[in-house]
Amino acid sequence: MLNRKTEKLLTRCIREHKENVYRLAYSYVKNKEDALDIVQDSIYKAMTNIELLKNPEAVKSWFYRIVVNTALDFLRRNKKVHPMDHEMIEAHSAGAEDVYTDIDLKRTLDALPEKYRIVIVLRYFEDMKIDEVAAVLDENVNTIKTRLYQALQLLRVKMDDGPSKEIK
Amino acid sequence: MDNKMEQLRKDYTDVPIPEELDMIVDGAISQSLKANRKRSPKYRWIAGVGAAALIFLVTINASTTVANALSTIPGVGKIIKVLTLKEYVVEENNYNANIKVPAITQLDNKELELGLNEKYMKENKALYDKFQAEINDLKKMGDGHLGVDAGYEIKTDNDDILSIERYVVESAGSSSEELKFDTIDKRNQLLITLPMLFKDDHYIDLISANIQEQMKAQMKADPNKFYWVSGAADVLPTDEFKAIKKDQSFYINNDGKLVIVFNKYDVAPGYMGAAEFVIPSDVLKGDLVSHKYIK
Repeated sequence: MLNRKTEKLLTRCIREHKENVYRLAYSYVKNKEDALDIVQDSIYKAMTNIELLKNPEAVKSWFYRIVVNTALDFLRRNKKVHPMDHEMIEAHSAGAEDVYTDIDLKRTLDALPEKYRIVIVLRYFEDMKIDEVAAVLDENVNTIKTRLYQALQLLRVKMDDGPSKEIK
Repeated sequence: MDNKMEQLRKDYTDVPIPEELDMIVDGAISQSLKANRKRSPKYRWIAGVGAAALIFLVTINASTTVANALSTIPGVGKIIKVLTLKEYVVEENNYNANIKVPAITQLDNKELELGLNEKYMKENKALYDKFQAEINDLKKMGDGHLGVDAGYEIKTDNDDILSIERYVVESAGSSSEELKFDTIDKRNQLLITLPMLFKDDHYIDLISANIQEQMKAQMKADPNKFYWVSGAADVLPTDEFKAIKKDQSFYINNDGKLVIVFNKYDVAPGYMGAAEFVIPSDVLKGDLVSHKYIK
């Protein structure tokens, strides 16, 4: 009985945040098909393992954590199986580049090590509080604070790096 | 800096939401609700144990028992049956496997029966060993999620035809699905292959052309469907579906129609799953050896 109630809660959470988690998945894989696959698999995993959700109030961060892990698993697995060739990389990036208003800036974020990139994404783009970010990433609050600070430092260094190199 | 962060945020939120998202979300929710309802209390208890690794091997020695039981009923001749011979189950926190090995019994052609059953056993054993190896790798690398679900489904079982589908769904982040089919002529106790249904190789072109038509028609009728077929938007020429393989997966359905099957990712993006096309018998009639199987 308790499970049915949690199930409803989770379903509501999934529907409410489906666009957010799609964007989150997309930020890892950069293409629609794989991002949709990740969303689909994450929902399935969450729904069928609902008994592992200990605290129903934390449903959002729990679901986000599944999405993050699913995306990471996907990248790891695909790195093993399909190395991209030049043709594919070109095909995938051709359309995308036109969209970016500032390619260098965009690359700065993607160039950050994953553990820094994800805290920026969750904190600034998904508007999560520090403790929510910590819950999603299964780390303690102080670790996340430090990581966020370091991420901003790195981003700042990289952003300042760009133009100054050109001046030289 | 704030300005740049705002720009980055905008890039992030500007990612367009595809139309299919709603359909996929709804589909995944209802599919998993269904899966949850099906679970028996025992299964739930096992899942609850979580960290404890439970590995069991269930060997059902049904083949001889059932055979004897059936042969004693007067009037019932030999009934060709498919049974679950063995089951591999792994239940750990992030790793689970459920592999069911089918076995065919009561074929008079013992060579065929043995050949198929050995193939099923070998392939499933290999799958289980591979799964174990991957778990060990993942554990060394840190941690991950891995699931394997393999089993079988009887697609057709009538007086003439027995078609068995075997599926392997592997999930690690994204999931892959592989389907294999065996179709047996029950009267003559033969394994049916695709080429043997036809006079010559012409069937490859006939079927491929028909499937391309069906793909286009389906995409036109339902914008949520998508196949990698020439003329569809954003299809790389390398991905385009051109022709079926000579020994493409197939089965014969209860109406005596040929059904061609593609694995997930073969002819369509992942969200479409595996694809099946029923080929109208009219299309094939010029090239069929006989109408014995395909009606």
